[in-house]
Amino acid sequence: MPTSRHHPGGSAGRAPAPVALVALALLVAGPARAADEIVLGASVPITGVFAFAGVGIHAGIGDYVGLVNQDGGIDGRPVRYVAEDTAYKVDASVAAFNRITSQYEVQLYYGDSTAFSKTMAPELARRGTILMGGDSFASELNDPERFPYHFLSGPDYTEMFGILLRYIADQSPGAKVAFVHSDTEFGRDPIARGTEIAEELGLSVPITIVTAPGSVDVTTEVLRLRRVRPDYTIFHGYVLAPIPEFITQARQMRLRTEFMGTFWSMDNAIVQTMGDAADGFLGVMPYRYYYDESADAPMLAKIREIRPEYQSTAYMQGFVTAMLMIEATRRALATGEPLTGASLKAGLNSIRDFDTGGLIGVPISITGNSVPVGRIYRADAQAGRMVPASDWIVLE
Amino acid sequence: MRIGHAKESYAADEALLDSPFQWTMLALMIAGLAALPLFGDPYWVYLVCLIAIHVIGATGLNILTGFTGLVSLGHAAFLGVGAYTVAVLEARIGTPFPVNLLAGGLAAAAVGLVVGLPSLRVKGLYLAIATIAASVILHFVFLHWASLTGGPAGLSLPPATLFGVALDTPFALYWLILPVAGVMVLGAANLFRTRVGRAFIAIRDRDISAELIGIPLLKTKLMSFGISSFYAGVAGGLWAYFFRVVTPESFPLIMSIFFLAAIIVGGLGSILGGVLGAVFMTLVPEALKLGVGLLSGVLPDAVAILAPVRTVVFGALIIGFLIFEPLGLAEIWRRFRRLQHLWPFRT
Repeated sequence: MPTSRHHPGGSAGRAPAPVALVALALLVAGPARAADEIVLGASVPITGVFAFAGVGIHAGIGDYVGLVNQDGGIDGRPVRYVAEDTAYKVDASVAAFNRITSQYEVQLYYGDSTAFSKTMAPELARRGTILMGGDSFASELNDPERFPYHFLSGPDYTEMFGILLRYIADQSPGAKVAFVHSDTEFGRDPIARGTEIAEELGLSVPITIVTAPGSVDVTTEVLRLRRVRPDYTIFHGYVLAPIPEFITQARQMRLRTEFMGTFWSMDNAIVQTMGDAADGFLGVMPYRYYYDESADAPMLAKIREIRPEYQSTAYMQGFVTAMLMIEATRRALATGEPLTGASLKAGLNSIRDFDTGGLIGVPISITGNSVPVGRIYRADAQAGRMVPASDWIVLE
Repeated sequence: MRIGHAKESYAADEALLDSPFQWTMLALMIAGLAALPLFGDPYWVYLVCLIAIHVIGATGLNILTGFTGLVSLGHAAFLGVGAYTVAVLEARIGTPFPVNLLAGGLAAAAVGLVVGLPSLRVKGLYLAIATIAASVILHFVFLHWASLTGGPAGLSLPPATLFGVALDTPFALYWLILPVAGVMVLGAANLFRTRVGRAFIAIRDRDISAELIGIPLLKTKLMSFGISSFYAGVAGGLWAYFFRVVTPESFPLIMSIFFLAAIIVGGLGSILGGVLGAVFMTLVPEALKLGVGLLSGVLPDAVAILAPVRTVVFGALIIGFLIFEPLGLAEIWRRFRRLQHLWPFRT
């Protein structure tokens, strides 16, 4: 038998003993931990289709936790951030949750994807010890009765539509608005309720176009849009494609409509990759951009100090989520009650006129599961930046 | 060295386990698996449940692709049919879970029979494309038959209950999932000791010759599709009870590729191969994560730096297996056993 055939099995036998011993020792010893630490676990998509956001989210959470620990933790209790990559797969996210919660006593958890949040809802209710935030802004999660231990660190998708539509109603009352969305749970989320809100605001929605996510050939859809000639067109459920193609073709057909997007298509680096098509692209954003030098945003200055290079809106999302989780913990500890999912959520819901260090431009209050605040930004192709197009809009 | 092992009857020759040592090892494995949830932490219990679900799915695909030679990339969609059937029955009608699981398997089998129809005319890559088309159609149905499937938001289902006890944690579900997986793997192993199973293999080796020796091609190929989809349906049903949320995005095409990779890495046309492949494909990414976790003590922010490396290592491992052992993990195991039987002599 040729000796090469023994490779797969044989190589393990030749593994250097010291390496194996160190690995074993580390395994047996487990992670070193302080008795009173607060643990923030996270399932983050550092690889996979959502990696463009996951890397930023991970950095954002890590940086905020680092800042808190530099300042002595939460009332002297250190915060430990334990993250694991999920590749944006629900089974891997649940595995990460199980692994982290079996190794640490976790109070706070960052979950990726709507499906993961929905999957974990019964488990969180059963445990009753964890408060969960995450990267999903699904309207379904904005229901304190069904999801008592969840929160969204911004407006849900329906509220984002509400902010966009309110801006449109202010700018051009009675305008015609087209919705273009992907054929996914994410894409369909705000459409039905968004249409009702538009009508309540005196706007009309003459056309709703559905495309495959990431589709490229959108000629027929643009022709349909041209027939209706809407004043505004809102994209939802995409990160990039087919937005640039849509805008380019619509401009070639001399269609005069203002294009708009929601959170995940609003990162400055992503918008600028659209090139010329980006100019004038509008959208809703709950957080300030990295380069915003407003005097009332000291936290952004601090972030620029830690990371001199541009940080995405996903970074801001992770940063703000960690900030709200830690504020909730601080408030829960202040009541003297033991830390449970319920006391943490009560702490979160006691937040009134809270200053995020300027990351969100107005003081925020959290009465339910979301933070219904946002601002309209416009892409300025010459400056290569998103610039504010409205004041901060707070939904009641 | 293995000695004194003469077989005196055909039954002994065909036995799945042929020595007291094998029986002892099996008993030890069962005892180990039974003890795991009592002593292991919830993470391992969860992983073993997930592996067991993958084992059922991979065994199903192995029956179709490994033993009958019909390539399918629609396996995830069949899991979806099983999962949706279970979710609808559990959430809307409230029938007991054994009925739901069986119905999930049968519904998937029925759909599999329809999808399998083109297999008489096309095979190889053509059949793979036909099954992808079927999975796209099924995905469309999951998404747009909203009154039944809940549309894009999908369905949430209550936990399975057994004698009034809710099976709502991996610990409780472990006692359901593992026995079902055991029975299904045993069923598959036995299938290939019957005329039907041998007919599958004959079709794989040369379908024209198989027809010449009297095997009805369409019926047998459809039977293979039906049995394979039944396995997928049961795996999907267990998946639904395990995660308790079923959405159209739960069963993407990449999941079909996962199962195909599992049986190729494990060993096409080998029951043990399907099992080993499912274990490998589920455990290795987790083991690599554990490695990254261990390094985080030494290397700050190892998770962010090494996560992409981990994906590359996983891919490289699969390629390595295909190059160094195209017959899969099952062959490595067989070679290990041969070595064991001949020890201390080597050939």
